[in-house]
Amino acid sequence: MDFGYTEAEEEFRHRLCAFLNRELTEEIARQNWEDKGVGPEAREFSRQLAAHGFLGMSWPKEYGGQGLPPTYDFILLDELGKRWGAHIPLDVGYTMVGHTILRRGSEELKRDFLPRIIRGEIEFCLGYTEPNAGSDLASMKMRAVADGDFYVFNGQKTFNTEAHYAEYHWLAARTDFTPNVPQHRGISLFIVDMNSPGITVRPLLTMSGEQTNEVFYENVRVPKSRMVGEKNKGFYYMMEAIDSERNHVFTPCRLMPLLHDLIQYAKETQFNGRPLAEDPRIQDQLAQMAVELEVAQVFAEHSRWMESKGIPMTYEPEITKVFTSELEQRLVDIGMEILGLYGQLEEGSKWAPLRGRIEWYFLHSFMTTIGAGTSEIGRNIIAQRGLGLPRG
Amino acid sequence: MDFQFTDEQKMLQETARDFLSKECPKTFVRAMERDVRGYSPELWRKMADLGWMGITFPESYGGMGGDFLDLILLLEEMGRACLPGPFFSTVVLGGVTLLEGGSEAQQRTFLPQIANGDLVLTLAHTEPATTKFDPFLITLKAKAQQRSYELEGTKLFVPDAQVANWLIAVARTEGQAGSREGLSLFLVDAKAQGVRREILPTVARDKQGAVFFQKVRVPAENLLGALHEGGKVLEKVLAKAAIAKCAEMIGGARFVLDMGVSYAKEREQFGRLIGTFQAVQHHCANMAIYIEGGKYITYKAAWLQNKGLPSAKLVASAKAWVSDAYKRVVGLGHQIMAGTGYMEEHDMPLYSRRAKAAELAFGDASYHRKLVAKEIGF
Repeated sequence: MDFGYTEAEEEFRHRLCAFLNRELTEEIARQNWEDKGVGPEAREFSRQLAAHGFLGMSWPKEYGGQGLPPTYDFILLDELGKRWGAHIPLDVGYTMVGHTILRRGSEELKRDFLPRIIRGEIEFCLGYTEPNAGSDLASMKMRAVADGDFYVFNGQKTFNTEAHYAEYHWLAARTDFTPNVPQHRGISLFIVDMNSPGITVRPLLTMSGEQTNEVFYENVRVPKSRMVGEKNKGFYYMMEAIDSERNHVFTPCRLMPLLHDLIQYAKETQFNGRPLAEDPRIQDQLAQMAVELEVAQVFAEHSRWMESKGIPMTYEPEITKVFTSELEQRLVDIGMEILGLYGQLEEGSKWAPLRGRIEWYFLHSFMTTIGAGTSEIGRNIIAQRGLGLPRG
Repeated sequence: MDFQFTDEQKMLQETARDFLSKECPKTFVRAMERDVRGYSPELWRKMADLGWMGITFPESYGGMGGDFLDLILLLEEMGRACLPGPFFSTVVLGGVTLLEGGSEAQQRTFLPQIANGDLVLTLAHTEPATTKFDPFLITLKAKAQQRSYELEGTKLFVPDAQVANWLIAVARTEGQAGSREGLSLFLVDAKAQGVRREILPTVARDKQGAVFFQKVRVPAENLLGALHEGGKVLEKVLAKAAIAKCAEMIGGARFVLDMGVSYAKEREQFGRLIGTFQAVQHHCANMAIYIEGGKYITYKAAWLQNKGLPSAKLVASAKAWVSDAYKRVVGLGHQIMAGTGYMEEHDMPLYSRRAKAAELAFGDASYHRKLVAKEIGF
């Protein structure tokens, strides 16, 4: 049992913190994560992270990495999270897609994409969800039909969040149309250039002001060499990637600045001539949040450790996901209660406390227990895969 | 980062689970609830033979030279088995206090006897004024006399008071009730004149006692640690006791989850297993979340303690989380096992009653949240 970091890891963290304290502005952090979407500042920051050697530590040397364990990427995620930067700027490529290319992609795909991902140059957009395939993802309808050296795609995706700025679509489509073949055995994964003729991206605006998108495919031709791994194995690849994705996306540290700001606010804000911080209820609520953040952190540490050791994960990252996303809601709810009437003020009002961040998080927090799989599906997975309960 | 136990630790865990499943069946647990002593000296002897009482003591004092994590693993198994008896009192409250504050002579006298299974100890700490947990609300008087002290006062919720051979009494030698300064610890022979003990009828039937000290004379050499400085030792002991209690709770909670899952895989209603219902699955998933979080945070707090690193926030976070978690786990367990789990003869009540006792011991969740509040700047 060891909850510590090695000297080399601590040294990396130290250098990284110095860099982030200097370079990571709130503007960039918000482009990474929030309503603003990745812009030129976040792109430049991404390239700088790579140039200073903070990207790629945990990636194989032959593709431009340093060949070290995943711990370094987790340290990077934690330190970004502590500074409102909830993930790596071009994170779909770096924390999700890249791992599957590495595991399942052809050598040609690896050489083509991995070095550019590690240099922080390109971004992907997940193309999974469809209007009638949400939690029941395997029922997707997007078709890919072989035609010579190409596949021809027709269909529609939805809630593809990075589609308006990503260079590539990480697209799941049906490639086996034989009747009676189980749905999940007929899906393949592809890398598609977003500027291919026949792709239309239409914005969808969320209640928290973030842009996500619908993506329409009309006779889009994609070279066969852009299929990832084997034909009809795509759904398995998506599922095998999910645990690591959870480990890289649901970083408890990103809730720390929220808690920290609320504590500061309670200390600096008076009610009836006394600081809010003297209210025992507020103390108790925020202490509970601090406790739960520690719990979220040990969940993350545990499932990250499994990933680092190559121990098969079944439900552990799902616990991190369910717990951290629900914790975000509890924390924001308490935050809104502490801010009281002022909590409803949006950024831009001179009366808005904490720069309107809590108000924004309040809106955003409705998504966390839905995005990347609902809490309900998460609990099914914990019960069925973790505890062996029978499927209904 | 490493969540793996050593091979020795895994072996200890396995041995303990096997041993306790054989030696501590639920019939025995129930019998001990009705027994005045609340434990079996024969089983106590066997546990001592396995080296459990001295697991963290130095080998020179008859111990196994293990660390705090070894003890945590053992306690987790004991919590799983609902092991009745004074192990916690003797080894955690007695042993840790002696290790943290005892003189070499005291350690040499007491530790080998504990390790051999010859002594039962406990900590007489809480007092009637402590209507909510506060470790420093101490008024028990220790008047200095010639080469002795005279103790006068009452202690409540003293675990295993009735069967202890020695009590470690927390007394006030200076200052006001509530102050962490001015406390002193005394080793008191439970048979000394003026000591009277009573068993308290508690929800867990776990033999907590009241101890009355009436002009009890304690020789000066039985002062444990420095005069007036007992508060510092006490704080260390209570931190370890809180983590140790978490380990016990986690073991118990895991057993409740296992019971609930097995039941959901057998019990049919509406022509299907109740374990196929999402409502039941989600109860089980929630139990798993409570327990696994509790387990890792307990290990982390224990690891920090072991390393001598700052641990106040983690210890308090662990006891706050696990106290709430165990309570919720037994609640969900009852919901899954429904009417059958409500029956006295079912194993469920053994756990739900103990969950309450453990939650209250060494500060409940709200007490520990106050400590966390201090740590985060309030």
